[in-house]
Amino acid sequence: MNQTTTSRLIQAGFVAAVLLTWVLVTSTGLINPIFLPNPVDVMEELGQMIADGSLWADLTITLFELVLAYTAAVVSGTLIGFAVSTTRWSTRVFEPLFAAFFAIPIIVFYPLTVLYFGLGPESKIVHGGMFGFFPIALNTITGFATVDRRLLLLAASMGASPKQRFVRILFPAALPIMITGYRMGFILTFLSIIGSESIASLAGLGHRIVWYAEALETPKMFAYIVIVVLLATLLNTIVAALELRRRGA
Amino acid sequence: MAADSDSRPVTIRVEAVEHTFGGDDPAHHVRALDRISLEVFHGEMLCLIGPSGCGKSTLLNVIGGMFTPSSGRALIDGEPITRPMPAKIAYMFQESTLLPWATVLENIMVGLEFQGVAKPEREPRARVALATVNLQDFAAHFPDQLSGGMKQRVSLARALSLGTEILLMDEPFASLDEQTRMVFGEDLSQMLATTRKTIVFVTHSLAEAVFLADRVAVFTARPGSIKEIMTIDEPHPRGPDFMTTDRFARLRNSLYAQLRDEIRKAMREQQVPSTID
Amino acid sequence: MNATAASILRFLARPVVSQLAFVILAMLLWEVAARHSTDELFTSPPSAVFAAAGDLFDDKGVMRAVVTTLWELGLSFLLAVVFGLAVGVGVGASGMTYRSLYPIILLAYAIPQITILPLFVLYFGPGPASKVAFGFSHGIFPIIVNVVAGLRTVPTGLLRSAYSMGATKQQVFRRITFPHLVPSFFTGMRLGMTATLLGVLLSELYVSSGGIGYYTELYTESFEPHNLFALTGMLALMAVFLNEVVRRAEIRHSRWR
Ligand SMILES: Nc1ncnc2c1ncn2[C@@H]1O[C@H](COP(=O)(O)OP(=O)(O)OP(=O)(O)O)[C@@H](O)[C@H]1O
Ligand SMILES: [Mg+2]
Repeated sequence: MNQTTTSRLIQAGFVAAVLLTWVLVTSTGLINPIFLPNPVDVMEELGQMIADGSLWADLTITLFELVLAYTAAVVSGTLIGFAVSTTRWSTRVFEPLFAAFFAIPIIVFYPLTVLYFGLGPESKIVHGGMFGFFPIALNTITGFATVDRRLLLLAASMGASPKQRFVRILFPAALPIMITGYRMGFILTFLSIIGSESIASLAGLGHRIVWYAEALETPKMFAYIVIVVLLATLLNTIVAALELRRRGA
Repeated sequence: MAADSDSRPVTIRVEAVEHTFGGDDPAHHVRALDRISLEVFHGEMLCLIGPSGCGKSTLLNVIGGMFTPSSGRALIDGEPITRPMPAKIAYMFQESTLLPWATVLENIMVGLEFQGVAKPEREPRARVALATVNLQDFAAHFPDQLSGGMKQRVSLARALSLGTEILLMDEPFASLDEQTRMVFGEDLSQMLATTRKTIVFVTHSLAEAVFLADRVAVFTARPGSIKEIMTIDEPHPRGPDFMTTDRFARLRNSLYAQLRDEIRKAMREQQVPSTID
Repeated sequence: MNATAASILRFLARPVVSQLAFVILAMLLWEVAARHSTDELFTSPPSAVFAAAGDLFDDKGVMRAVVTTLWELGLSFLLAVVFGLAVGVGVGASGMTYRSLYPIILLAYAIPQITILPLFVLYFGPGPASKVAFGFSHGIFPIIVNVVAGLRTVPTGLLRSAYSMGATKQQVFRRITFPHLVPSFFTGMRLGMTATLLGVLLSELYVSSGGIGYYTELYTESFEPHNLFALTGMLALMAVFLNEVVRRAEIRHSRWR
């Protein structure tokens, strides 16, 4: 038996063991179902939510917030990041400022956001946009500021116009780093929206998880957790696929 | 000439060594060495030359005890090599193996520590070794602060500091400029004349091979086997005069003639990547 | 005269000076706007926030909450470092453990932990225990990932050359694997600190019996923006400070990289 098979077996064994333990401890009553629901119950709740359509309202709100917040983060992060990167001086002034801000868990600003924008989707969009802005702006700055100078000299030596310089050299060289920023920004926007919905909100997937947790309806809560995990995986896969496509092009 | 060779004691003996890389998956197998047999005599400088990827580093690794070949064996002083023998062999690898977090002096001292040299002896010996490559002023520098050639000289100093009888050198001067290389070649030749070390030396330079070697082993394209062994009958130390002789030019040309076909063969093979992916 | 003007300009153009000037300018604009506006968005001029911050320092309840958050942070970070290092070394120790266990770690890391925050409160209660646990669960992953990376990326050339010189396994660990691991470990600690901060603050804001989450909620509900700004500012400064400490440590220990 070769090494790859062995490690695959160990992994499969681990996942199976976790699932089996989960089923066993919940069906034998070893753990109070309020703390850990039976997976069968969770599955039933999941089917119920989809069948009666109760899932869609929250899912739509979360996705709506995500689209607006992420669009705002991409547009503002790219434009501001590019503007900052155009001179060495502005890069050296603003890049550390942004980096310092990025190191703060932006979640501390959420209460202020709620104070001014209320409990509805607006505060989630502002908060999510803020979370997504920094990695995008920072990677845009890095992307444009670290373009190999020899490439620029080469372009100049061959008489490239400013437009050609941007289209043929600067942009393609910066793009891979920017794409990393877009991906990070996307993940952070998504997580911060779920997070802010959990902390203070009126609707959305995060809100629903917390709502059922407080009502001690753990099977429903787990059903929503499963939805968020699936959604995160799906969105990540899409973003990763887009990233690969761009890189390949 | 053959009679002359036979009379000298054999230090390294390679017996029908064959090696195939590639673990579990037969689709990824790479046959690197094809039944190589070879002797290196005591106090001799043997150069290995051959197309890129023909297995020279692999053979050096086998002699250095870095891994056991698929079949066949290598012996040192009649004793089979199964693991590194730091008391007898110093190895200069093809890639830089200086520790980036240690200074030049520390790098040499760590080698002595690995070899088991007592602590108080390490620093003086390391300093002596540094002086032999004229880098005593850079003892406190880090590898990243040195040029490529200086790094190679530190590696050489580290190998020499170990004081072994055998030196395995894998393209040690590849990143040096030509002049420095020639000076190093002269120094090495001087060392051979005085200390009688046994050296196996891989190079891609025809001139370097002819200038340094007592014998040159020409490899075929992969899987590497020995196509021809050429003797360079000229006593060490060799100086710049040797390079300007007609004999030098003739030897260099015949070496090139031996290699040319193999290099074309290797190039043709590389266009069809049958073994990779 | 002209030379003086030029040197003043040059002074102002220094990045640190420009950064400070930029921050001060933003505050001034904010102050002026807040004073001349009746819009509630601008009702917290920096002067009022600074005054509120002074009051908060005198408020025993708030200070206790801040101290509680600090030690929750400290404890969860410490646990994350210790267990992150141990797990990371275990996983990265050999090719076999790496191939078998690392995908499992990555699988667990990929779950958005925010979704299970209510579970932490359910299991550990609304007090500090759930904050420490949640901070720990955030901080440990970047540390594991970086320790594993540090162990698995030791250049094979360095290892082979060490063995060729007769190094024993312990010597290889002491002289090669360990020094190679150090910078990655510190990178892991930096990222782990950011993550721990996020985890602790998230759970504080989610539910808190007497921690800072209690006060942010109080100030939001009673609409006291000055106090909320001041408290947020304090937390942000604390985060910047802690990040700076680990970042400095990282730089100091990765000079060779
Ligand atoms: N660890 C390995 N796994 C798989 N294949 C390997 C490995 N090491 C070397 N090879 C293959 O074995 C062949 C011989 O490699 P080797 O490094 O000995 O060549 P070389 O003659 O030293 O080449 P060069 O002159 O370029 O240094 C090459 O085709 C290489 O791709
Ligand atoms: Mg080689």
